[in-house]
Amino acid sequence: MSFFTDSLILGIIEAAPLVLATVGFTLIFYLSGFINVAYAETITLGAYFAIVFNSMLGLNFYLAIIPSALLSGVISVGTYLVVFRPAFKRGVGSTEMIILSVGLSFFIRYSLRLIFGSHLYALDIVSPTSFRIFGIGITNIQLTALILVAVITAGLYLFIYRTNYGEMMRGLANNEDLAMVSGINPVRVSVLIWFIAGVAGGLAGLFYGVFSFVNTLLGWRLILIIIMITIVGGIGNVRGALIASIGAGIITAAVTLITKPLYGEVILLLSFIGILRLKKVRR
Amino acid sequence: MAQFLSGYAMYTFSSIVVFVALATLLHLQFGLTGIVNFGVVGFFGLGMYSFGVFLIQYNIPYLVAMLLATVLTGVVALGLGKLILDLDSQSILVATLAIATVVEDLVITEKWLTKGVIGLGTVPFPFDLGPFSQAGYFLLALVLTVLLILYAYKLESSPYGRLLLSMQDNEPLARSLGKSTSRQKLIFFSITSGLMGLFGTLHASNIHFMVPRMLGPGVTFTVWIALILGGRKRILGGLVGTLATIGLFDFVIETFVPIPAAQSQLLPVIKLWIYGLGLMLILMYRPSGILGEKKLTNR
Repeated sequence: MSFFTDSLILGIIEAAPLVLATVGFTLIFYLSGFINVAYAETITLGAYFAIVFNSMLGLNFYLAIIPSALLSGVISVGTYLVVFRPAFKRGVGSTEMIILSVGLSFFIRYSLRLIFGSHLYALDIVSPTSFRIFGIGITNIQLTALILVAVITAGLYLFIYRTNYGEMMRGLANNEDLAMVSGINPVRVSVLIWFIAGVAGGLAGLFYGVFSFVNTLLGWRLILIIIMITIVGGIGNVRGALIASIGAGIITAAVTLITKPLYGEVILLLSFIGILRLKKVRR
Repeated sequence: MAQFLSGYAMYTFSSIVVFVALATLLHLQFGLTGIVNFGVVGFFGLGMYSFGVFLIQYNIPYLVAMLLATVLTGVVALGLGKLILDLDSQSILVATLAIATVVEDLVITEKWLTKGVIGLGTVPFPFDLGPFSQAGYFLLALVLTVLLILYAYKLESSPYGRLLLSMQDNEPLARSLGKSTSRQKLIFFSITSGLMGLFGTLHASNIHFMVPRMLGPGVTFTVWIALILGGRKRILGGLVGTLATIGLFDFVIETFVPIPAAQSQLLPVIKLWIYGLGLMLILMYRPSGILGEKKLTNR
């Protein structure tokens, strides 16, 4: 029983940033219809912006969150306007778009390597106080992350399913021509979505930076799991992405409690391949 | 003479030859058949490591170990292919990438077999020819790569090659003509992936000592940029692309451009940075690569 609750709680804590990143990734996937591998670098950038504002410029950690998240959103919009939109216009196919995004991903990652070198960076946080919930040690920063993630995810959820812009986005994703005839400006909606997705990714990276060291591979290590969760959860289905990412967090936590962390990743990836297969059979 | 035939130049040439083979195999999978294999390093690494384990941990003779590793890689590809090959290309892409990550993870965790991050070695050259051992190895790799390219030419002008091409263009149509497309695709995928494993075993002899870090995404990315740059639809695309990437950076620049020691560590970073930029520019402005589209001939 305690194994069950332990993996549940640890899993939810671990999944918190993952949920944010997955929801952001899902938005872009839903709107633009391709796997944007360069989203990995949006996550990494979020952590590096936090390092710059917090550790280098000495801003308070909580204050540093705001500019870091906003800048990640701006860069995300930048990649859309400079790379992906022109590529769409040139008629690059959907598989080629993925390869293109891998190219962009390497370009941004190694730009960061050239600027910041290969050092491990850590955020400058006042020593966290820890307390126990259901017998599990949790720090106040983890709790803050968890609450922030819950609030932001709920906000995103309402935005997508309850607001005008959310409706426009869904219209655009389903039938672009029809959406344009109905007076929706595709560029404006796309820019907004890429910005929101970028902010979510940047925040995810920043919270990962709280729990571990930051280097340029941060986002790359996560992106495969994020892509898998998005496909398994149902493309563009924010509810599915939410459930699948919490599930992934719990599986990883459970396996990690029994054996080594890397086995968690192995089992997760293999079961995702199995789920991909099952989904195809059922279709 | 012996000095020229061994050492760093020979090492670089051998690497280039192995990567030409990988890029040609990727051309057969992606350019010809349309299978988006993003796990090149998984098959390459599985061949490399299982060969090392057979050879060093179990003292199996060199060529037998090579054969076993190739077959093992092919069988793993067969199992994976059976699960995923009839899914859409995005799923195939992620699943192959996932397998590559699983291979890397298991190499790190299964220390009893692979010695984990400490590294597994040393793998000797295949033939003990005294000072010409390295040259003998290089020749073996070269001959196998040339054979592969010749085979690709023969394949693509054969009815079987046209069947594979038809799967990329219009699989339902090919199936409606009575061709068992999924079966053919599966067999072809497992053979070409097995061959990626074979070239992994060859690479093990070149580097002598293997560590899990070599199984990172850099290998897959390098092979992909080489093929896309050279021309994915062309048999020689892999060759041209590999010469223009690895050939240029790891041989021409390393040998002829004087780089101060302080900056030499930056070279691999700059290399991948330029690869990334290059890949984007090619896909946007010349998606068919250096060699361009194949001319259609009247058959």
